[in-house]
Amino acid sequence: MRRRTAVAVALATAAAAVWPDVASAHGLVGRADLPIPSWLFGWGASIVLIVSFVALATLWPQPRLEQAVERPWFRIPAWVDPICGLIGVALFGVVVYSGLEGTSEAMNNFASNFIFVEFWVGLVILSVLFGDVFRAFNPWLAVGRALRWAAARAGLSSPVRRDYPAWLGRWPAVATIIGFAWLELVYTQKTPQTLAWLCIGYAVVQLLAMAAFGIERWVDNGDGFTVYFNLFSRLSPLIRRDGVLHLRPPLAGVPSMPMVPGSIGLLCAAIGSTTFDGFSNGPVWASLNPDLQSLFKDLGSSTNVAIELAGAVGLLGCVAAVGLFYRLGVRGMQTVGEGYPSTELARRFAHTLVPIAFAYALAHYFSLLIYNGQAVASLVSDPLGDGSNIFGTASAHIDYGVISGKGIWYVQVAALVVGHVSGLILAHDRALSLYKRVRDATRSQYWMLVVMVGFTSLGLWLLSAVRQ
Amino acid sequence: MSQRARLGVIAAAVVVAVVGFVIASSSGDNTKESGLVHIVVRHAKPVGGVREITVKKGHRARFTVTSDVADEIHIHGYDLHKDVIKGGTVSFDFVAKMDGGFVVELESRSKQIASLKVLP
Repeated sequence: MRRRTAVAVALATAAAAVWPDVASAHGLVGRADLPIPSWLFGWGASIVLIVSFVALATLWPQPRLEQAVERPWFRIPAWVDPICGLIGVALFGVVVYSGLEGTSEAMNNFASNFIFVEFWVGLVILSVLFGDVFRAFNPWLAVGRALRWAAARAGLSSPVRRDYPAWLGRWPAVATIIGFAWLELVYTQKTPQTLAWLCIGYAVVQLLAMAAFGIERWVDNGDGFTVYFNLFSRLSPLIRRDGVLHLRPPLAGVPSMPMVPGSIGLLCAAIGSTTFDGFSNGPVWASLNPDLQSLFKDLGSSTNVAIELAGAVGLLGCVAAVGLFYRLGVRGMQTVGEGYPSTELARRFAHTLVPIAFAYALAHYFSLLIYNGQAVASLVSDPLGDGSNIFGTASAHIDYGVISGKGIWYVQVAALVVGHVSGLILAHDRALSLYKRVRDATRSQYWMLVVMVGFTSLGLWLLSAVRQ
Repeated sequence: MSQRARLGVIAAAVVVAVVGFVIASSSGDNTKESGLVHIVVRHAKPVGGVREITVKKGHRARFTVTSDVADEIHIHGYDLHKDVIKGGTVSFDFVAKMDGGFVVELESRSKQIASLKVLP
């Protein structure tokens, strides 16, 4: 519920916020997760070690996922895309309208709930289950395509395109993801109105960039949300190619992830921002944060700005720490035979962090989705929070009994363990195809094991060290 | 390693994991219900900082709030509200049926005074 703190910061409270009072933003939240108990922490960590050694002993001797076969399943009818696009645009419209016209209380406004719960968390899970769902519903992509179609019908030639610079890669997406995480976890004034204006601004920037660089070229690299959800859809057994839905083994989409510039940064941003979510509710941050804030206040910032700057430092610090830890593991791997440079190894193994990123997201956001996701039932009937009851469900309440606290603990630990195993499998598979000698492949994996165990232990620690 | 040896290693690991889980999960702590906790609010702040009230799910949570300001005491999640007058005392006594962490606050001031922890 860490999450909810963020999600729901009330403007009124935020206005007067100093550190101890920030917790009162929790107030809008309802129910918070309890830290996982020490016995579950110990058991989870032991499982990770047992699984790791079993994996080293039993995993396959030939690469399997690298050349996995995709089997065509069925052709998606042509009318599906425009319909999905229309739904996306309509939802975008409802979110912006609710944000602009509705109540400024985040918890009672459809816009805040939809953006932080259904969109940001729900789509991650949908992407893993069903593939690249967001691409189908992406409102700015739909508008961009519709404009291109209309221009072609009107006989207008498309404007001269600039080449998308190769060095820029996924860096615009990295900036978007870190920016969104900061907005969600740190920013003190995130009223539904602010969110609505940010939605509009973001969509306009996307349309301009699409016009400049070409629709697909931009969306695949620069649109932070498309890139972010696409990352998780690589874990899915479903993939769409040339209008045909294909089936593939789970994880098989991950090794083919194109490692353009910014790809490692994207993974570090995804893992690091979730890390900060946990970290900022833990004891270490609780003692660091006041010092950082007073430092910024001494430099002349107002209270809110000091909070936001301190949070930015913490968030960027977490992203950097994740990146540094990965690079250290890669450094170790470099000492093992065959002389690959560490930048090459860093690129070759970065995809193994995709399941770790998903595990972190699921462990941290699961209860938010399960509990606050229910609020959508009442909010669709009263999106503006003005007492209307469009579908007769405005009085629906969140049922906190839908899953017990223990159930949440088990989901959190299971997510981390399964993410860990998936990361190991991917790294093992890549090592087999990269190193000519099996012995080098095996030895390189001791280092990846250190990286994976490190990330999983960090994940468990974050879950166990939640301050109430 | 042969296929059979591989399965053997996996089976052994699963057994170890399951046995470990059973042993570990049975060693949970034995907190049941809180004694009666008294929270004193002075200058609209809880004396001694935000108090923690810990109970086990299905047991009684009991506490009182004495306040030098008039406000409404609200337990989030459970959505229990009671008005307290200036200098007055209100008491809560209920069975904690939901687990999780819940904020208790002075509603109109959005000021947290206690944290109710209901262990599963």
